[in-house]
Amino acid sequence: MADVKAEPHTGAVKFSMLIAGAVFALMMVIGLVMRAAQGNLIELEAPFFYQLLSVHGAGMVGTAGLSGAAVMWYFVGRYVPLSARMYWAFIALFLLGVVFILTAIFIGRYGGGWTFLFPLPAISGEAWEPWAAALFMLGYVSIGVGFLLYHLAVGYPIMKHYGGFARALGWHVGFGGADPADAPPPAIVAAAAVTIFNTIGIIVGAAVLVASLVHLLVPGFAVDALLAKNMIFFFGHVFINASIYMAVIAVYEIVPEYTGRPWKTSRVFVLAWTAILLFVMAVYPHHLLQDVVMPPWALVLGQVVSYLSGIPLLAVTAFSLCVYLHGSKMRWDLASSLLVLAVAGWSVGTVPAIIDGMISVNKIMHNTQWVPGHFHIYLLLGVVAMSFGFMAWLVRGTKASESGMSGLDRMAFGAYALGAAGFALMFLISGAMSVPRRWAVHLPEWVLQDRIATAFAVLVVVSTLVFVIKYAVRLGRAPG
Amino acid sequence: MAKAKIRELFPVCAALALGIGVLWLATDGFRALTEEGARRLHAAKSKPKLPAFVLEDMNGDVLRLGPDSGKDGKTTLVTFIYTTCPTLCQAGGGDIAKLRDRLREMRLDGGVRLLSVSFDPVRDHPQQLRLYAEQHGADGAVWTIARPSAEALGSVIDGFGVRVIPDGWGGYQHNSALHVVDGEGRLTGIFDTDDIDGVLNAVRDGT
Amino acid sequence: MRRPLLILSIAVFGSCVLFRQTLERDPVTHVLLLLPALAVAGWLMAVSLGRHRLRLREADANALTLLGVFAILFWMLPRYIDASLTNPLVEAAKFISVPLCIGAVLAVSWKATHPFLRGFLKANALSMLGVLAFLYIHAPVRICNSYLEVDQQRLGYGFLFVALALSLVWAVPLFFPADGGATPNKHLSGRATA
Ligand code: HEM
Ligand SMILES: [Cu+2]
Repeated sequence: MADVKAEPHTGAVKFSMLIAGAVFALMMVIGLVMRAAQGNLIELEAPFFYQLLSVHGAGMVGTAGLSGAAVMWYFVGRYVPLSARMYWAFIALFLLGVVFILTAIFIGRYGGGWTFLFPLPAISGEAWEPWAAALFMLGYVSIGVGFLLYHLAVGYPIMKHYGGFARALGWHVGFGGADPADAPPPAIVAAAAVTIFNTIGIIVGAAVLVASLVHLLVPGFAVDALLAKNMIFFFGHVFINASIYMAVIAVYEIVPEYTGRPWKTSRVFVLAWTAILLFVMAVYPHHLLQDVVMPPWALVLGQVVSYLSGIPLLAVTAFSLCVYLHGSKMRWDLASSLLVLAVAGWSVGTVPAIIDGMISVNKIMHNTQWVPGHFHIYLLLGVVAMSFGFMAWLVRGTKASESGMSGLDRMAFGAYALGAAGFALMFLISGAMSVPRRWAVHLPEWVLQDRIATAFAVLVVVSTLVFVIKYAVRLGRAPG
Repeated sequence: MAKAKIRELFPVCAALALGIGVLWLATDGFRALTEEGARRLHAAKSKPKLPAFVLEDMNGDVLRLGPDSGKDGKTTLVTFIYTTCPTLCQAGGGDIAKLRDRLREMRLDGGVRLLSVSFDPVRDHPQQLRLYAEQHGADGAVWTIARPSAEALGSVIDGFGVRVIPDGWGGYQHNSALHVVDGEGRLTGIFDTDDIDGVLNAVRDGT
Repeated sequence: MRRPLLILSIAVFGSCVLFRQTLERDPVTHVLLLLPALAVAGWLMAVSLGRHRLRLREADANALTLLGVFAILFWMLPRYIDASLTNPLVEAAKFISVPLCIGAVLAVSWKATHPFLRGFLKANALSMLGVLAFLYIHAPVRICNSYLEVDQQRLGYGFLFVALALSLVWAVPLFFPADGGATPNKHLSGRATA
C-alpha cells in the first residue's frame, strides 16, 4: 500500500449523519409526547413518562455526540490520514450501546434517568429489575469505549502530524510568539482540544460507570454518593460540550466556502481554545450548586468559570463569524443559514446558562424547567442546527438550479427557528414561575405554557422531518 | 489478503481467549474474586467434612462439634466472635437473635442449634461468655456461646477457613459470616449474618 | 548482554525475596511496591538479555501485550493476593509469574504494540485504577481477609495517587514529544509491516 492520503471518509460520515438525523427526529417525537403529556393533551402512565424521559435524555445526548464526531472526523480527515476501520469500530460500538439502552428502557422498563445518578438505578421500587439498570449502564460503557477508540484514532495522527498536542493546539503561536501562519488550521486546534477533554471525561465516566455496575451486582460495595455525582456531572457536562465543540468545526470549514474568505487560526483563536479546554473541565460544579456538602471553593470556581466560559465562544466563533459575514457576499442556502443560526442560537443559549450558574439564582432555579430551557436553546438551536446544516451541505446540489434556497427550504428553516425558540422560551417562562423539571404530571396552572410549547414542538418536528427526508432522498440520488 | 488477515487477527484472538479462560478458571467463572467468595463457593459446592472439635460452652459444659456432633441429627449454625468486639460481633449478635426468633416462628428450632464460638479463649472465659449471652438473649436453649481451648483454637478456625487478624488496638478483624454445619458434620454453606432468608432456605433444604 | 542491567535485575529480585515479609505485611507495599518491583526485575532482565534481537511482528506484539495485561489482572484479584500470603505454592507462583509474564513479556512486546492498543490500555488502566480507588476507599466490606479495613482504604488512596501520577507521566509526552514529533509514522504512511 502506498502513502495513505488525507481524505475524508465521505461514505461513512454520510451514513452516520443519516442515523443521527433519524434518531434526532425520533427523539423529538418522544419529547413532543412528553410535553403533550405535561400539558394534559394526552395521558401517559408516570413510569412510562420516566422511561421516555430516560430515552430522550440518553438518546439526544448520545446522538449529539455521534453527529459531532462525524463532523469532526470528516474535516480532520482533510488534514491527516485517518483509519476508516477505527471509525467503523466506533460506529459499531455506538450502535451496540444504543441497542442495550433501548432494550433496558423498553423491555426492562428502566426509568432512572439518563444521568444514572447513584444510587437511583439500584432502587427502582420494583419498577425495573437490576438487570435493566445494568444493561443501561453497559450501553453507556459500549458507547464510551467507542468514543475512546474514536479519540485515539483522531488524536494519535494529529499528534504525530503536528508534533505533539502543544503544537496542535497552536501553543507555539499563542504563547511562543510564532507566526500565526505556522499554526494548524482551526479544525485541528478544535479537534485537539476536544480530544483531550473528552478523553479525560470518558476516563472519569468509565470509572464511575464501572463502580456503579459493581454496586448493582454486589450491593455491599457502596460508592460515595457525592463523589459519584461529581464524576457523573463532570463526564456528562464534558461529553455534551464536546459534541457542540466538535460540531462547530463545520462552521470553520464550511462557512469560508460561502464567504470566499478562509477561516484562519489567529493568536486569539489559539488562546480562546486553550481557555475552552480548561473551562469545559472546570465548570461542571455549577451542576452541584445545591449540594451544600460541596466544598465552597468548588462552587465558587463553578460560578466564576460559568461567567467566563461564554467569552471564548463569543470571541472566537460568534464575533469572528460576524466579521467574516460582514462585507462579504455571503451565499445563503439551507446549509449556510442553519450554520449561522446555530452560532447565534448557541451564543444566546449561554445567557440563561450564565444566569443559572449564579449561586444565588441557582438555589431557586436548578430544579425548575429553567434548566431544560437553557440547554434546549443551545442544543436545538446549536448542535442540532449545526448537524442539520452539515447534512444539508453534504448533499448540497451542484447544479445552479439547486444552489439557492427553495421555498420548502425557507419554510422549513423558518419553522425550525421559530419552533425551537418558542419551545425553549416556554421552558424558561415555566422555570421563572418555579415549575419543577422532571415532573410527569403538571398542576393545572402550569398547563398553558405546556400546551403552547407542544405547538412549537410540532413545528420543530415537522421541519426536522423535512430536513432529514430531504437529506435521505438526496443521499439516495447521489451515491457515495 | 485473507491469509494475511488471519495471520494478523489470530494471535490477538488467541491471547484474548487464553487470558479470559485463565481468569474464568481462576475465579470460578467470575463468581469468586475474593477469598471470602471462594470460601463460600467451596462450602456450597463440595460440602467439606469438618474434623471433630471439643468446645467448652458458657456453662462450662463440654460441647462437641463435627462428625459426632450430629448424633441428634441437628443442623448447627456457627458464627465466630470475640465478646469484647465493639462492632461486628454486637451487630452479628442482633442478627442471630433475629434468626432464632424466625426459626421459632417457623417451628424449625427443634432441628437447629445456634452456636457462637469465641476465637479469643484467653479473655473469653465462660463468665465473660455468659455476659455476651445475656446481652443478646442467648439462653442456651437454641443459641449457645462457647470457646475452644487455647491449643485447639488454631485447628478450629483453620477447619472452618476463618481468618482472624489483630487490628492493632487489642481487638481483631475477622470474617463476619454464618456457617451451616449439617447433621453429619459437613460445612454446607456460608452466609452473611444478616442474610436470614438465605440461611433459612439452606436450613430447610438440609433438614 | 548488558551485564549491569542483569545485576540490577537480580538485585531487585533478591531484595523482593529478602524483604518479602516486611513488604507483604502492609497491602500498600505489597500491591504498590512488591508487585511492581517484581515486574521491574523481569523487565530489566529482558532488556539485559537483549530483547532488541527479537523482531516481533505487530500482531504478535499485540497478543503478548494482552497476555501481560491479563497477568496484571490476575494479580489484581484480591483472592490471589490473599492466597499468596497463606499458600506457599501461590507465593512461589507470584515470584515467578510476575517478573516473567508481566515484566519480561511487556518489555519485549510493548514498544512494538499498535499505538491504538497502547493508548486504549493506558486509558483503561487509569479508569480501572479509579474504580479500585473508589471501591477500596468506600467499600464497607473487607476485600482481603488478610488485611485490615483501614489498610484497604490506604490502598485505595494509593491507587488514586498512582492513577494521577500515571496520567501525568503519560500525558506530558503527548503534548511535548521527545523527538519533537519529527519521526515519520509508520502507522499512518505506508504500513510497511502489513
Ligand atoms: C422537538 C424537540 C424537543 C422536545 C419536544 C423536547 C422535549 C423535552 C421535554 C418535555 C423534556 C422534559 C422536561 C422536564 O424536565 O420537565 C426534555 C428533557 C430533556 N431534553 Fe428535550 N426536547 C427536544 C429536543 C431535545 C434535543 C435536541 C436535545 C439534545 C440534543 C434534548 C435533550 C434533553 C435532555 C438532556 C433532557 C433532560 C432529561 C432529564 O431531565 O433527565 N432535547 N425534553
Ligand atoms: Cu467483631
